[in-house]
Amino acid sequence: MDETVAEYIRRMVLRIPRDEIKTMLQKWGFLSETQLQTINFHQIKDNISQDVVQLCEENSADIKQAAVLDIIYNHIYPNKRVWSVYQMNKTGEETEFFDLTDFKKKFKRQLRSALKNVTINFREYEDNAIWIRIAWGTPYTKPNQYKTSYVVYHSQTPYVFISASVLKSNLPLLCQALLVASNYCDIREMELRSHSLNSLKDIVFKRYSQNFQTYYPRPLQERNAAPESADIRIIQENKNEKERIQRVNREVFGDGPQPKLEFAQYKLETMFKSDPKMNVLDKREPFRCLVKFSSPHLLESLKSLAPAGMADAPLSPLLTCIPQKARNYFRIREKKGFLPGSFVSP
Amino acid sequence: GVFAHLEMLEARAHEAAVKQEEMEQQEEKLAGLRARVEELRLQRDELRAKVDLQQKGQLGKEGVVPNPAQPSARAVLEWKIKSLKALLELFYLTGISGKLTKRGVCFCISTAYEGTYLDSYYLDLLTKPEVQIYRHSVPVFIPLQQIAKKYLQTDIRRFLSVLYDHLNAYVGRRYQADQLQEHFSDQIEGTLQRNSLCNLLVFNYNVPSKSRTFPFNVRLLYGDLCCSLPTEVVISCTPNAPASLAETAAAHSDLFRRVALHKVFGSFSSAEESVD
Repeated sequence: MDETVAEYIRRMVLRIPRDEIKTMLQKWGFLSETQLQTINFHQIKDNISQDVVQLCEENSADIKQAAVLDIIYNHIYPNKRVWSVYQMNKTGEETEFFDLTDFKKKFKRQLRSALKNVTINFREYEDNAIWIRIAWGTPYTKPNQYKTSYVVYHSQTPYVFISASVLKSNLPLLCQALLVASNYCDIREMELRSHSLNSLKDIVFKRYSQNFQTYYPRPLQERNAAPESADIRIIQENKNEKERIQRVNREVFGDGPQPKLEFAQYKLETMFKSDPKMNVLDKREPFRCLVKFSSPHLLESLKSLAPAGMADAPLSPLLTCIPQKARNYFRIREKKGFLPGSFVSP
Repeated sequence: GVFAHLEMLEARAHEAAVKQEEMEQQEEKLAGLRARVEELRLQRDELRAKVDLQQKGQLGKEGVVPNPAQPSARAVLEWKIKSLKALLELFYLTGISGKLTKRGVCFCISTAYEGTYLDSYYLDLLTKPEVQIYRHSVPVFIPLQQIAKKYLQTDIRRFLSVLYDHLNAYVGRRYQADQLQEHFSDQIEGTLQRNSLCNLLVFNYNVPSKSRTFPFNVRLLYGDLCCSLPTEVVISCTPNAPASLAETAAAHSDLFRRVALHKVFGSFSSAEESVD
């Protein structure tokens, strides 16, 4: 077994939390159950990884097999990476019979024709997600297994999720291979980025909770207010206002959990409005300003602003349009009022 | 022989029992409807009496005198709400229901496949200045934009009907594939290759022949997105398979084209049982 492969496997095992190592190795399936029994998973990680490398040596692991373990790790911990969303377009309207084998073949062929030194691995999951791992080399060097790009693609959809590659120069190659393999014409990056891959999927696949008005009766238990405190001397002064806020919030955000985004960024290119006597700016130039909202869970915190009394309900549509417009980067220019839909540049 | 005769008698008895059950159900239904008619007649009489009283001016200016024999306003309201809810549930169960919103209308498409209710999808439409889709929960691989471009402006009924067909066919195909994986995984060799629309399924299964099994590879193509049965079936077997299997392949191919996927495998299982 190659020295580099051994080192790669060793480092990978060290990354995995100790309690998860055994399950992940089982998922990998490269080491047999009997081999796994011989490892003591209670010792320090250094020693566990040495044992694993030893067993991989016995089975003569190559880099492709080691790469599978990397995909499994990233599939279980996708939130360690930042994911961007790309949208593809096609002109034709024929029904697509997406054939997985065909897709993989075309992708590999296209990418390898542009750059021979790449390691490409595929792994499919139950939810029709295809994970692609690419380790990039150069025309003169072998692929660097520590500089990998990840692509997640759901068949017959126009969206691709790419984990930001370290080497920006390889992005066009990757995009071209995706277009050829999936039979689309062009691809562009959307203004949507997050650590949470599943939340990005929820947003573009419209799987997040939207509050649609329907007649289908919801169980009445939901609508019962929480029992008022037993002491009748305590009255809620703002009861009406509180209920209005709850209702408006529900209409905007829906009932379910929000997709998880870490920030929203607004680049303002609007004119500074001030008292003309103050003469702050001589030239009539847009006042450039960047407003960034950060949060461990931005949409949930926006949802709780009005009920907590920190903001008026309804919130500004600039904030609430994020899931529907599928973007968290905005550029706002000076026009008649703020209308992010029409006046935001892609 | 005797067994055949016994079978025939059993079948007859079964038929008779089914008929009997049907008749009883009909009678129950009839009795129920009769009771409803009586109920409604009673209400009608009570309301008539109330109207008469009001017309004769006997209630005076104090308002309605609560009379336990007459249905109170509350009871009437409750009855109205109940029958409205039943009507709305009926619409919901038919598959397409809608509700007017401030700026347009919100449709709910409920899908089902052979008696099992599956997912519901929503479309929030604006009606001014022209009909457009404001937001929706339709899966992204359903060609919603294409269908909207064709029909949304001109014939909204057709738009809904075409979308309804697409969604129902999709959930039907998905249901069949899920059922296959869930209940017949022992007959499938390896994994079932599918895609988001479930319009291409590829898998291998074993066919017994003369005390050996041979793998068949099946490609099911569903060319019509509004249909939950394949338009093309390609079955191939290994080169060393006996010639007789070609006939079996043709028969299976025909089956896959006509019968739901999981039912095909269901019939394989029961065919095996009857051979034993």
